[in-house]
Amino acid sequence: MKTLSIKLFTIFVMIILFMSEGTMFYSFYLKSKENISDLLIDSIETNILNIKFFLKDHLEKNNIDNIATYLNTSSALSKTILAINLLDNSNKLLYSTDKSRYKKKSTVKCIRISEIQNKDIFKQKCYSVSVGTYSGLKRYSYNVNIYINHVYISSLLSDQIKKYSIYFILFFTVLMFLLWYILRYTIVSPLEKLRQFAYYSTKMPGKLLIRELESIRYSLDLTFDRMKKEQDELYKLSTQDSLSGLANRLSLLEKINWLISKGDRSKSEFAIIFLDLDNFKNINDSLGHEFGDEVLKIISSELLDIVRENDVVSRFGGDEFVVVLPDIEDETRVLNVAQRIKERLSVPIEHEHYKYSVTASIGITIYPRDGKDATTLLKNADMAMYRAKELGKNNYHFFTEELNRILQEKMHIQKMMEDGLEKHHFKLFYQPKVDIKTGKITGCEALIRLIDPKEGLIPPDKFIHIAEANNFIIPIGKWVIKEAISQIKIWSNTKLKDLKISINVSGIQFLDPSFIKDLESELLGVDPSKLDIELTESVLMSKYDEKLETIKKIKKLGLSLSLDDFGTGYSSLSYLKNIPFDTIKIDKSFMDDLESKKSKRFIAMIVSIVKDLNLEVVAEGVETKDQLEYLRKINCDVYQGYFCSKPVKAQEFEKLFV
Amino acid sequence: MKKFIILALTVFLFYGCTLDNKHKNITLVTNSWIGYSPLFYANEKGDLKKLGIKLIVSGSLGEASDIYSVGKADMVSGTQHEYFWLKETTKDIYPFMLLDKSYGGDMILSNKNIRELKNSKKIYAYLEVNSVNNEILHYFLKKFSIKMNKITFINKNQIKIQELRANPQKPVIIATYNPYDIVLKKHGFKVLASTRDSSGLVVVDGLFAKIKILKSDKKIVLELKKVLDSSIDAIRKNPKKSYKLISGYLENISYKDFLNSLKKIKWINKPPKKLLSKLKKMGYSERYIIR
Repeated sequence: MKTLSIKLFTIFVMIILFMSEGTMFYSFYLKSKENISDLLIDSIETNILNIKFFLKDHLEKNNIDNIATYLNTSSALSKTILAINLLDNSNKLLYSTDKSRYKKKSTVKCIRISEIQNKDIFKQKCYSVSVGTYSGLKRYSYNVNIYINHVYISSLLSDQIKKYSIYFILFFTVLMFLLWYILRYTIVSPLEKLRQFAYYSTKMPGKLLIRELESIRYSLDLTFDRMKKEQDELYKLSTQDSLSGLANRLSLLEKINWLISKGDRSKSEFAIIFLDLDNFKNINDSLGHEFGDEVLKIISSELLDIVRENDVVSRFGGDEFVVVLPDIEDETRVLNVAQRIKERLSVPIEHEHYKYSVTASIGITIYPRDGKDATTLLKNADMAMYRAKELGKNNYHFFTEELNRILQEKMHIQKMMEDGLEKHHFKLFYQPKVDIKTGKITGCEALIRLIDPKEGLIPPDKFIHIAEANNFIIPIGKWVIKEAISQIKIWSNTKLKDLKISINVSGIQFLDPSFIKDLESELLGVDPSKLDIELTESVLMSKYDEKLETIKKIKKLGLSLSLDDFGTGYSSLSYLKNIPFDTIKIDKSFMDDLESKKSKRFIAMIVSIVKDLNLEVVAEGVETKDQLEYLRKINCDVYQGYFCSKPVKAQEFEKLFV
Repeated sequence: MKKFIILALTVFLFYGCTLDNKHKNITLVTNSWIGYSPLFYANEKGDLKKLGIKLIVSGSLGEASDIYSVGKADMVSGTQHEYFWLKETTKDIYPFMLLDKSYGGDMILSNKNIRELKNSKKIYAYLEVNSVNNEILHYFLKKFSIKMNKITFINKNQIKIQELRANPQKPVIIATYNPYDIVLKKHGFKVLASTRDSSGLVVVDGLFAKIKILKSDKKIVLELKKVLDSSIDAIRKNPKKSYKLISGYLENISYKDFLNSLKKIKWINKPPKKLLSKLKKMGYSERYIIR
């Protein structure tokens, strides 16, 4: 069957309606015309009959005087009669109500009035009737011609035509608008909605008025719903590992490829952790595959628990798992995850009264440095994993040896720091601050040292940045505050009671919400003026407003504040203006370069500015007598450096003071 | 699609067929002749209305013929005189039912007897010239050998004629018919002759119609015949009741006069072949006559 567009269908319906309406109005018109015709016929017949009756009674031979008035009146009063002519038997005009036009009318053909029903009243212009009068028994025949006012009759018809034409147009216009509106509201618009729903399958239209369309809508909804479920099921089957529910190899490759594309655009890195369970075969052999499968499920669950939500955990095959960590900023996080995996797996797995310890060897690659595509990255991670197995299993190994070494060292230092804090391997060393004018020690800077029982002294530059990277600086900072204040307390009853101890505070520590509270609690019973907080410019460079608030709180506690390493950063004078520092410490690099005139000028200028601001100025890194002499010359207040003493333990410092 | 087009066209045609369903009334024009009592009876009973027939009662059969001739009526009642006259003028008239035969209903009245009339030098004769009166009067004059040259013919309709009063100084003969004779008798006129005693004079009344009516409204015409047959039966069986119904159509004559009038006609609604044959010889068309 040939299909038909709604538009064409509507046009077709409109044509049918147009024809129907046209026929309807034409029939109304015909009916109206017929009614008018009937009325006109009735009127003409009645007029003629009256004239005939009158003439029969009043018409006398050779005397028309007594009928003239009647004929004139009849003609004048009737709208339908234009004129009446009376003719004798030989068609000779005896009388006319309109003699001036008789000649013209005489050419008009008159039909018998009895034929009026068979003729078109609107076209026929004249009717005639015969009238017989008797004189004795002799009959005299006359003809009466009645001329119709055709203009009047035509006007009746044209009025009807005009009226019905207007009605027809109006009615048709309204009908068309109505039809269009109904079609649009009930069919076109719902169909368009259904089309969009069928195409996009997103926004389901509301309930529809037309039952058939509503059935389609309902069916589409059911179909899409079923398709969605099937699609989801298929997707699940194609992307998930059936045993563990983790992403399968295919899904993993898709994700890695996607991360490669993203990494190319945003220059971001991601890590692949390739994990192979050590001696898993033994589990299957000894406890059966069923137990082995349960172990794999538990490990899958543990891995999911360890990683973040947007990290990918997949079962690569057998007892191999791959974890993808997107958007890594440094390797520490990778290390942490690897370490956590190792730790979590070290807990024995318990299932059906069996306990079994599982270990895993882990190989790690980082995109893009360890491979540009998924295959290479996975292959290299596999190789790194085998390297880890070679090194004794239950271990992890990065694919790049140098990186592996750095990271292993980082982990080692981290471990040392954790042990150090726990086993008191951290110590505070004190470097004196000496008044240049008097040569007396007026204070000291407490400097942290890590003394590992095996490795010996670990300088701060080895571990501070690692501690800052994983926020371990916070517990270290707390320990420093506690230790320094404890020292103040110890010295408060000795000759060193007037000494002020400076401690260095990291930016991370500064943002710690408990920082001020810790200070407050530790300072209980201690003169706060004996504690000085040293900040570097770098501490102030981010989250300035937040840190300014902390500074104000420090000052409120009664502590003094020093700006450390001045001259190495931006050396912004606005810091000096806005932050209530008490002391400015000139960085050691200026002392090291004192030979140059430029350095000298800078030191002199800094000292001059700081003195003008009524702040104390401390020169760091003074190692020679010349340096000290120059400082004295430019009226520097205090110096600190090896010229006086390197940082020493408290006991040694006490000896120095004496 | 085909079904839809067929359906649309069917609706369209059906609609077209219903355009003109108006049925026009049939108009029947008659006068107050006693022989037309069945028409009055059927009209009063509402039978004519049921058939869609409108009854017009005119002053005379001549007027009725005029009304028919101008087209204002589709059926007309009349004698053979009206029939022949309308046949000549309109061409479109056909008898379809016979009603009655005058049996004294048409008559000659006079204020003088035959002998006095024969001796009179001048006689005034009143009649409806264009009616069966003419034939009856001529029949009478011929039968009694009254010379035509002493007759002055005066053409008037019966309503006017019935106003005449008998004047002994003025010999008058009147050709009239029932029920107009009743008043005239009261005015001093006496019957000299009638259709009862003139076997050579046949006056029959019937109903005539246009050919179009007889063809397109054949059922109505047949029904009308049945209705009139029933009416005639009803008048015969219960004249009193009929009188009460139709006296208004008959110049308000008394019941006694009504009974007398009925005696002056014979119902020929079921005409014998002999009569039809006679009428045919007169030029009466029997083609559409319903027996």
